[in-house]
Amino acid sequence: MNDIDRVLREDARSTLPDDGFSARVMAALPARPRPRPWLHPALILGSAGLGSLLAIAFAPAGASVLQGFADLAQLHLHTPGALTAIAFGGALLASAVVLAIDSD
Amino acid sequence: MPAPAASPTDAQLILAVLEREDRRAFGVLVERHQSQVRTVLRRMTRGDVALADDLAQEVFVLAWRNLGKFRFEAKFSTWLYRIAFNTWQSEARKKHEVLLDTEDGSPAESLEMATEMPDVVTRVDLERAMAVLSDGERAAITACFYADLSHEEAAEALGLPLGTVKTHILRARAKLKAHLTKEKP
Repeated sequence: MNDIDRVLREDARSTLPDDGFSARVMAALPARPRPRPWLHPALILGSAGLGSLLAIAFAPAGASVLQGFADLAQLHLHTPGALTAIAFGGALLASAVVLAIDSD
Repeated sequence: MPAPAASPTDAQLILAVLEREDRRAFGVLVERHQSQVRTVLRRMTRGDVALADDLAQEVFVLAWRNLGKFRFEAKFSTWLYRIAFNTWQSEARKKHEVLLDTEDGSPAESLEMATEMPDVVTRVDLERAMAVLSDGERAAITACFYADLSHEEAAEALGLPLGTVKTHILRARAKLKAHLTKEKP
């Protein structure tokens, strides 16, 4: 180790007297924020639910989600109902993926 | 005579804060790490003791608020260093643009002095010498020597390429040596 490294390491190892610093910090601490683990999943699921409702509400006439799933089962992928069902399922799948990644 | 109880580890104290909101446990963490955090900030602020202590207080308040985000993968002291660095950077940005990766053009080799370092270097000497370094050089030196990070960890913490950190360290060493040798012939 060269000289300047030694000087820096010695300076880093030296101890500063507290001089009331810790007491000042403790006096300045606010209340800790309460953890709300439900908030993030609720926002994601709420957004997905709202998106799904809007998709259903503004879907073309005759494009019900149930009819869409029936169309998908018969491999009719391009009907308005099938597209609505794909959007609905996609929104739920995206929410599930985001929540799964977030919980790691 | 019973053996004295071992002092709790940082991880045990952090868990006590998270599970029971134990302020006393956090107080022990502050007492344990105040010296390192304040020293780092004194070096980063070019020896401005009042500003460094204000920033150090802010660091511990931020640590208290965000302790739930501590992942126990790194050392608590490393996590605190990152908060300290970000706090210093925010403060420095209010006053001037912080240029962490600026090269000043002077090759490090030309700053190497053949003369010997003085036997005794006081804290004031070192503070003065640190003040001549660029922001990036000071940040790299405090990360590697005061926070004890490897070059790779320092590069990640500072958001700089590894090569830049190594250059900063090399250049800073040369500047410090030159300055300290000049101060104390």
